[in-house]
This record gives sequence, C-alpha cells and structure tokens, in this order.
Amino acid sequence: MEDERSFPDLATPIDQCRYAVIDTELTGLDFKKDSIVSIGAVAMTGGRIRLGETFYEMVSPRTAFRAETVVVHGIMPSDVTDKPAAGAVIDELLKFCAGTVVVGHFLSLDLHFLNKELKAVSGRPFPNFVADTWRIHSWIQNQTDAACRDFGESGDRDLFALAKKYRVPIAQAHDALGDAFITAQLFQRFLAILPGLGVRTIKELLKIGKP
Amino acid sequence: MRTLHCFTFRWYDICSYNLGLIIGVLSFIMTITEDVVKFLETVPPFQFLEAVELKAVSDDLTMEFYPKDTVILQQDGLASDALRIIKKGGVKVSMRTENGEEVTIDHRGEGETFGLISLMGRDKQKTTVIAMEDSICYLLSREKILKLIETKPVVSEYFLQSHFTKYVDKVYREMHNKSLFYGSSDHLLFTTPVGDIATKAVVAVRDDATIKEAALQMSRHRISSVIIVDARQLPVGVVTDRDLREKVVSRARSVDDPVRDIMSLPLVRVDAKDYCFEAVLTMIKHNIHHILVIQDGNLKGVLTNHDLMMLQGTSPLSFAKDLESQESVDGLAPVSVKINRVVGLLLKEGARASNITRIIAELNDRLVRKVLEIAEKQFGRPPVAYCWLSFGSEGRKEQTFKTDQDNAIVYADPATPEQEEAAKQYFAAFALFVRDGLVKCGFPLCPADYMASNPKWRQPLSVWKKLFSTWIGHPTPEAILRSLIFFDFRHLHGDEALAVDLRSHLMKNLKGQNLFLALMAGATARNRPPLGFFKTFLVEKDGEHKNELNLKLRGIGPLVDIVRLLSLESGVAETSTLERIEAMRGKNASIDSMGDELVQAFEFISLLRIHHQVEQIEQGQAPDNFINPSRLSNLEKSTLKESFQVISTLQDGIIDHYGPGMVGSG
Repeated sequence: MEDERSFPDLATPIDQCRYAVIDTELTGLDFKKDSIVSIGAVAMTGGRIRLGETFYEMVSPRTAFRAETVVVHGIMPSDVTDKPAAGAVIDELLKFCAGTVVVGHFLSLDLHFLNKELKAVSGRPFPNFVADTWRIHSWIQNQTDAACRDFGESGDRDLFALAKKYRVPIAQAHDALGDAFITAQLFQRFLAILPGLGVRTIKELLKIGKP
Repeated sequence: MRTLHCFTFRWYDICSYNLGLIIGVLSFIMTITEDVVKFLETVPPFQFLEAVELKAVSDDLTMEFYPKDTVILQQDGLASDALRIIKKGGVKVSMRTENGEEVTIDHRGEGETFGLISLMGRDKQKTTVIAMEDSICYLLSREKILKLIETKPVVSEYFLQSHFTKYVDKVYREMHNKSLFYGSSDHLLFTTPVGDIATKAVVAVRDDATIKEAALQMSRHRISSVIIVDARQLPVGVVTDRDLREKVVSRARSVDDPVRDIMSLPLVRVDAKDYCFEAVLTMIKHNIHHILVIQDGNLKGVLTNHDLMMLQGTSPLSFAKDLESQESVDGLAPVSVKINRVVGLLLKEGARASNITRIIAELNDRLVRKVLEIAEKQFGRPPVAYCWLSFGSEGRKEQTFKTDQDNAIVYADPATPEQEEAAKQYFAAFALFVRDGLVKCGFPLCPADYMASNPKWRQPLSVWKKLFSTWIGHPTPEAILRSLIFFDFRHLHGDEALAVDLRSHLMKNLKGQNLFLALMAGATARNRPPLGFFKTFLVEKDGEHKNELNLKLRGIGPLVDIVRLLSLESGVAETSTLERIEAMRGKNASIDSMGDELVQAFEFISLLRIHHQVEQIEQGQAPDNFINPSRLSNLEKSTLKESFQVISTLQDGIIDHYGPGMVGSG
C-alpha cells in the first residue's frame, strides 16, 4: 500500500513530475444509479506522453446499461459479461497511478465513481494528488482573456470542443483510453503555457487545477 | 423504462453482427499507438520495418508538443536524449558559427527527424532547433534508436546516408578550412573499402614496453597512435595522442610505467572489406578517432579520422585535376558530363543552394577556362590582350544545370589599323572555336545570340564603353533588356584589368542616371511574385503547366532583378546576387532592413528549384522551372509564401521610390 501513497514532492517542477491522465466511461451521469463501464489512463513525464504506457480495462458495471450512453461509449452488455467487476481492476489502476498526479477532464465526476468502487473495496478514497484540465483551462482563460472573465464561464466546456480549440487531433475511437489520450494532449498544451503564467510547481498546479 | 430497454435490445441485436464483433476484437489490443504505427508506415526508415517491430517502436515512443518558437534543442546545451520524429508542424535547424553568425542549416517538416547526431556523439548539442509552428514530435530514446541501428541494417543505412555524411563533412570542414570542394565526394564513404585507405605500415609496441618507448615510436614515425601487441604479436590495445595527454601528462604519471596501463580498451576493429561508412559509424559510436583494420584475422592497418577526411578531400580535387589534365575538347566532354551528377550528390548531402551553385560555378569556370586554353594553343598568341566575360546566371555564379552560353570578349584597343584587322580576324576564329567547344561540353547555344561568336559581342574596350554609355544615356526598351543581361558580366579568363576598367566605366556612368534606373526599376517591378490577395499561390490557369508556377520567372528572376537594381544604385561592383547583398550592407537601407530575409528567400527558392530539376533529371525529363505548390509540404508552402512576400515588399518599395507613374511606364 505504501507505493500508492508515494506522493510527488509539492516543489517538483511541473515539467518533471509524473502524471497519470485518466478517463472513465459510465453507464450514465446519475451519481446514485450509474457506475463505471471502462477505465483508460495514459502515463506522462512532464510534457512527454509515454505512448506505450497505457491502462485500459472494461468492467462489468454494477448497474444496468442505458441505451443513450451505449451509443456514446459503444460498449455493449455482451462485451463485458466476462469482464471483472470494477473493484477487481481498481488495484491495477492504483498501481498505474502510483507516484503520479492524476489528471482528468471534469475529474470530479470520474473520482466520484472511482471512489464509490474504492470505498467498497478498501474503505478509502482515491489517494493521489489530482488536477482537472477543465479547471486549468478556465484559470488560463481568466488569466489571458478579459472577455471571459467578464462574462463568467462561457464557451467550450466539453473535451472535444476544447481539443478542437487547442488543435489536438481527434482521431481515436471514443473510448476511455482514446479520451484519456486526448485529455493528455490537452494537458500537454497547458504544461507549455503554464510556466509563462507563473505556474511552475506541483503545488501551484494543484491550486489552479483543484477539481 | 421498458420501452427504452426494448430499444437497447433491438439496437444491440442489429449491431452485434458487426460492430459488437469489431469492438470485441479491438478490446484485446486497445492502445493509443495504432495511429502512430500508421504514421510511421509512411516515414523512412521506419516504414521498412516489419509490422511487429513497428508496433514495438511505437510503444517505446513518447510524444511532446512544442508551441511555435519553442527552442527544442539549444546549441552547446545538453546533447539530445532522443531522436525526434516530426508528427506535425516544422522546425528550423541552425548553427552559430565561431564568428557569431547564425546560419540556417535546414528546415525539417512532417515525417522528418532531428537530433540524431548529438545523440550518437553524446557531445554537446551542435545545432539549435526551433519550432517554426506549433509542432508535435514523437521521441525515440537514445537506447532504442541505437539498438535499432545496430540490429536493423535498413535503419543504419538510412541514417548513415542522411546524417553521417553531414557529420563527417563538418569534421572535414573544420580541418580543411572551408575548402571550396568539401563534401562533393562523400559518396566515397559508401563505395570505398576500409582496406583501401587504412594506413598500411602499422607501428606496434609490445604491451610490456614503457610509455616512453611508445611515445618515442609515435614521434619517430610521426603518427598519432600506436598499436599495442602481446607476446604473440596479436593486437590487444591502442595508445593514442589522447591517451598520452589524458592519462599521462595531465595526471603526472611516470613515463616508465608499462604502456599497457594507459592503452585504450576494448580494441575496436573493422574488416578491411567493410565500407568506410561502417568505420565512421563505429568510431562515432565508441567516440574514438582510431580504429583497427583486420584482414583475414590479421592486423592490416589503422584507420584514423584523418584518413577519412583525406578520402573526402582527395577525390573532388582529382575531379578538378581530371579537367586540368585534358588536352583536347574531345577529352573534356566526358568529364563535363560529371558536373551534373555533382548537383544530385550535393543535394543528397543537404548542401545549401548557394554552396551548390558556387561549387558548380567553380567547376564550370574551370571547364570554360580549359576550353579557352585549348583554343589559345590552337590559334597562338592573340594580337592584343583580351578578357573573356560571362554574363547572366553564369556571370552571377548561379548556374546549376548547364544553361545557355552567355559570353563575350573585350580586347585591348588596338594601336594601329593593322593590329585592329589582325585582332578582328583572330578573335572571330577563336570565338567560333570556343563556342563549338562549349557546345560539345554541354553548354547549349544562346538563342538570343549573346555570344562572343557574334561580332557584336567581341569588341575593343572603347567600343564596349561606348555601348554601355549609349544604353544608359538612351534607355530604349532593348537597351534596358541588354543591360539586365550584360551588366552582370564577370571576368572569367584573360586580362582581368580590361573587365575592371569596363566595370568602373559602368559605375561612373550610372551615377545620377535616374531615368535609366527608373526604367530598370520598371522592368524590375513588372514581374510580381505569384501571391494572391489572400496569400494564396497564383498558378497557371491552363496549358501544359496548369496549376503550376514558374519559380524562375516569378521568383528567382524578380529577386535577382531587385538586387541588381539596388546594387547598381549603390555602386556595388559584385555580380552574384548573394555577394551583391553582402556588399550592400551598410550602403543600402532596403538591404539593411531586409537583407537577411532576402538571402533566405533566394536560398529557399533556389533550393526548391534545384530539387525539382534533379528530380526531373532522375526521371529522365528535361529540367524546367515549374513546380506544383500543392505538392509541397506545409512548411515548404509557408516558407515559399514568405519568400514571395519578401520580393513583393521590396518591389513595393521600388515603386514607391521611383514613383508609380515612372515605373508604370517602364
């Protein structure tokens, strides 16, 4: 259990820290009724995305599939009948994330469902430092664009709209790993911008990226 | 809820046959590298790898993003830790020379790589690499690329061809003080067996000898290394100058110690039958300057850095020597054919356009001079001193493939009518012989007959002076056209004083000739670069070259015209475009503000044109100046647009300066 808690030093420069960029696909967005269908994660060291170091698991959800989300994530009940329950793969995910800052888009959503699974297994919530790319994006907008500040949170919220805005190529299938990869590339662009705005250490990143 | 469920079921039923199946299969190999594999399948040398290997390479990659203007690698900074493959965007590779000059070496675009050389040498970074636009690179770590080079011949061959010749070329340049001919024979690295150039007489010292004995042997034989052998005379190590410096002198070690204590291990060898590039690779990999050459298991000799440099140095000179040793035009003709081949070779080695044309100009000059010498032998001493002039692209030293002859003779003013008659007869026969000789050597006739064989263009100095004065004083359209061609004249052979005299006459006469200069400005500003209002390329609408644009007529031509006009205005005597620009620095405001951009534009368009022509020649077509801009990479497109923009801006300045009315009437 020790490795899960090996946090990066808060003074680590953001271009040297290790990150795990994650995304989950869900049966739906209802906090009570829905659960995880698949988990994807991509490893990064500073701005380098480690293309061969990825995590992807489909799980057998604890709740029923729903038609409208099946269309989105493309995973069908038959695909997961032989898959483990989320609780069984969550240990692997924690290992993958060990020592990293975990990054995701609207991460609080993913965290809610991950924590639900985690608590069922170990009684403890997700241990890592976390940062949300949507929060980071909003913060950057506020620093750089006066119009945005005046009109509050407007503009593009969803991952694909942001990816387009930052010219991140969207070529992969829409699954948890593909989305994690897009999120990683988005984060990669933020990492290039942030030092110029005074964000240089993990401590500063966590502050602006708090989900 | 019930209906929804029902829908789900139906939907699933329909799709389970195909989609479900596909997704099911995909889930076993779910990765993010499929796109990477697809990309690498189009990138040499990775495209030559098997699917499994390609997948393995992809899994080893990392990916970085660089906003525009990011300094990715910094000269003298840490050596690169990875080979970078450009996935998107483009970079500029540049180098700061010893005198602080920033030289752009290359632009690389999508599918090209950089960082290999510092990776191999583990030295400090030798170049600066900057992202010219937002760029994405895949990074292959030092360990992985070294392993690929070692285990996959296709990879090592590719990188050797495209990078190592440049590396060796650089080393060679340092040693040989920028000799004009460097690099033109790097292909010898790929065709010469090590055994052919290795030092034959090996000086060996027993391993129990003292350091002092070894050093004495080295200085006695004036060699930089000595082989250490054991009691059976088998090589066990090598001691080099470097060992003496680093392990003896700097550490105050006793010179009576056995030499085996300071010898370098392990002993790196190549086979005598191996090509030199393999030796270079090995030397770079082990960071050594000496390598043992083994033949049939025995020590055959030592190959040094120096030997490799000599290999490169001798052959281009021998090419020039080959020209020199010919006694007849018939003997020259076959040698002259080789000059075309040099262009392709230089291109492959990444030479800059200006370097290519300089080398070609030098070789062509030698060829023409040789024909003139042969003519002089044939016709005997000329009755008066003469000077052979070349014009046009030859005059500007901007030729690549042999272009039309543009030449003339100026001879000293005859003292008597008899001498005048003798000169007329002599040079008539002489010029005809040279013209035909040059045709045999591959220089086509000038369709406009701007050749010394035309009596108009072989005249005494005073007649030439009068001719130039007339053109300047009465600038008819024909006079302007001729000025554009003849004012780029350059002495090529004979009495240079005549050319100098004519040049100073020209400069003197141009002073204050605003009407002439304005008309020349009109001619200069007439051919606008093919850029549309929205910075799109304007291509031919129909005909043989539909959708193409003429790089010479719309790019190089206007640029050369601008620089000629400015240099005539500023009284600069040089004739080559780049030399003119350099000479005008500090004298001409336009050049001071845009000189660098102009040089880059000229280099870039010229290089594009040479590449295009080499490609045509390799495909057995006659070289022309038409390229299809849609076939260019994004980086090339944007650089070409910027180049055209530079020309356009300068033309606007010229129109402003001389007044639109004046220029318009030209």
